[in-house]
Amino acid sequence: MEAAGLWMLGTAGIVMLASGLPAWIVLVGVALAFATAGIAIGMFDSNLFTALYSRLVGLLEYDLLQALPLYVLMGSLINRLPLADTLFRVGARALAWTGSGRALAGLGLGIVLAPMSGSAGASASVLSHAVYPRLGCRGAEHNLALVCLASTLGVVTPPSLVLIFLGDAMLRAHTEATNVTGLVGRIINTQDVFHAALVPAAMLLAICVAIVWLTHRAEAPESLAEGTPPSDWIVAIGALGLVVALLAGVALGHLYAVEAAAAGGVALSAYGLATRTLTRKVLAEALEDTLAITGALFALLVAATTFTLVQRAYGTDRWLAALFTQFGTDPAILLAAVLAALALCALVLDAFEMTFVVIPLVMPPLLMRVPDATWVAVLTLLILQTSFLVPPFGYAVLMVRSRTASRIPNLALARALAPYIAAQALVLALVIAFPRMLWREEVTAQGTPVSGEKAREMFEKQLEENDRNEPK
Amino acid sequence: MASNAVDRVLGGISKAALLLVWPLSLLLFAQWPLRDWVHAYSREANDIAQIIFALYVAVAITEATRRDTHLAADVLAHRYPVRWRARLARLASAAILIPWSLFLLYSGVVPAWNSLLQLERFAETLNPGYFLIRIAVLLLATLVLVQALRDAFRPRRDA
Repeated sequence: MEAAGLWMLGTAGIVMLASGLPAWIVLVGVALAFATAGIAIGMFDSNLFTALYSRLVGLLEYDLLQALPLYVLMGSLINRLPLADTLFRVGARALAWTGSGRALAGLGLGIVLAPMSGSAGASASVLSHAVYPRLGCRGAEHNLALVCLASTLGVVTPPSLVLIFLGDAMLRAHTEATNVTGLVGRIINTQDVFHAALVPAAMLLAICVAIVWLTHRAEAPESLAEGTPPSDWIVAIGALGLVVALLAGVALGHLYAVEAAAAGGVALSAYGLATRTLTRKVLAEALEDTLAITGALFALLVAATTFTLVQRAYGTDRWLAALFTQFGTDPAILLAAVLAALALCALVLDAFEMTFVVIPLVMPPLLMRVPDATWVAVLTLLILQTSFLVPPFGYAVLMVRSRTASRIPNLALARALAPYIAAQALVLALVIAFPRMLWREEVTAQGTPVSGEKAREMFEKQLEENDRNEPK
Repeated sequence: MASNAVDRVLGGISKAALLLVWPLSLLLFAQWPLRDWVHAYSREANDIAQIIFALYVAVAITEATRRDTHLAADVLAHRYPVRWRARLARLASAAILIPWSLFLLYSGVVPAWNSLLQLERFAETLNPGYFLIRIAVLLLATLVLVQALRDAFRPRRDA
């Protein structure tokens, strides 16, 4: 019965795809169904859900989550103010000499917008609306592939929401693993994940820029004939400067991600007021978008909290820890198995569900055997991004297809996506082969991995302690 | 119609909550100069922001339902007839969201009430107002319940 947590995941994935119901409702529904079954067969008692209230209070008092509405506000303001359009036009004009100005500007807009959307699904929605129509009709499959790629950039480009939450999930998992194994050193934090993701993200972006340039060369020159007034250039340079400054502030540790997001929101509002583009109507729309999108993302957290409560009640975490010991003494096999499982899950679950439902389940026992948490975090990000992009079922591919009502054949789209997937595979292989290429400030908790059986015993002990400390 | 009246009330609550994101942004933006330059009040700013955040997201989930912005993988389901999808949504409201929110209310009322009576403070800073975070969870559950009742039992022609 301990494997019920995995059945829950499978059921949730199937019901999500088959029903089209909101993911958060499906997660809550599956959790309720399995909880009812567990109570009926005497696996646990009906007091199980009394812990849910305390867990949700914990969510609402969690500092890091404050970043959520702020990132969404920034995204909404960029989308609603003429800024996205200005950035695109200036970018297309500035890069016209390359022969693929529109496509490169579209990719650039994706780099700016996707990290603020919070999920591949939300990014796909925004970019299908903001970028796809502007790319023109030449090479439709290449345009669609570009939007798919841009939708996944929020997974690896710091300081994205996905990175913030994955960093936090890794912190918790690393703490749990370190408590169990007694390894010395500091625990990984969100900042570490930001830093570590910078080099692979930069490499990936550089390769993708080259691919976009190659596949979109020789755009119709008349499409770039419209002029761009000097004020647009000033605005675009100012906006890019702000993004770079905030990114540098976070990367260098002068700002927390929450503060950077707040600064961005304040700066964008000031820009809107100063240019008189933030009219009452635009403001109302941006605020309504912010509230609704924040609600959509937070609902996933609430649902994931319910879902993982039931998974733990079934003892799936213990069962997985025991299962992981069966991979013998080679942690590399275990790492490969977990990454493969993450890749499969990412075909039906978005980055947020992955971070809050799957990562807490598999990471603590994995980090007991593979203690380099920073490296594992970056591999996780890269594997998630790649999985979102694999046709025909990759999450971003499905979402972009659905949002753009595209009728491009799967084979044509797969061909257009192939270079991007190859680029991701290359960066993934490089990170696997050369863990030292990641930027690390200090050495995180390291040591000799414990044996499988020892890990299982220690993990059991830690889980019992967690259960005793669980708020009632 | 009762259904329309409920919708107006929920809409009014959402409108009131829309503006909370401004003080939230300003308080969190102010944390940086307060911490690094003033060397005081940054934790107070953070605690107030936490309360505002809790109230904001408590309302936000229902607003996402009202505006149909919840993330969904509707790759297959967008081909289903509209009537099927509407029935499925009503069924989900009745069978999932109503029992879930009722249970949350049932398990949260006593601890929230006790917290209110004690005017519970933030544990680390001892600043007042922590009880509002506990109450925000009840607000979240209540709004989800009301919206789910409306969606599940509204007259079919509104669906």
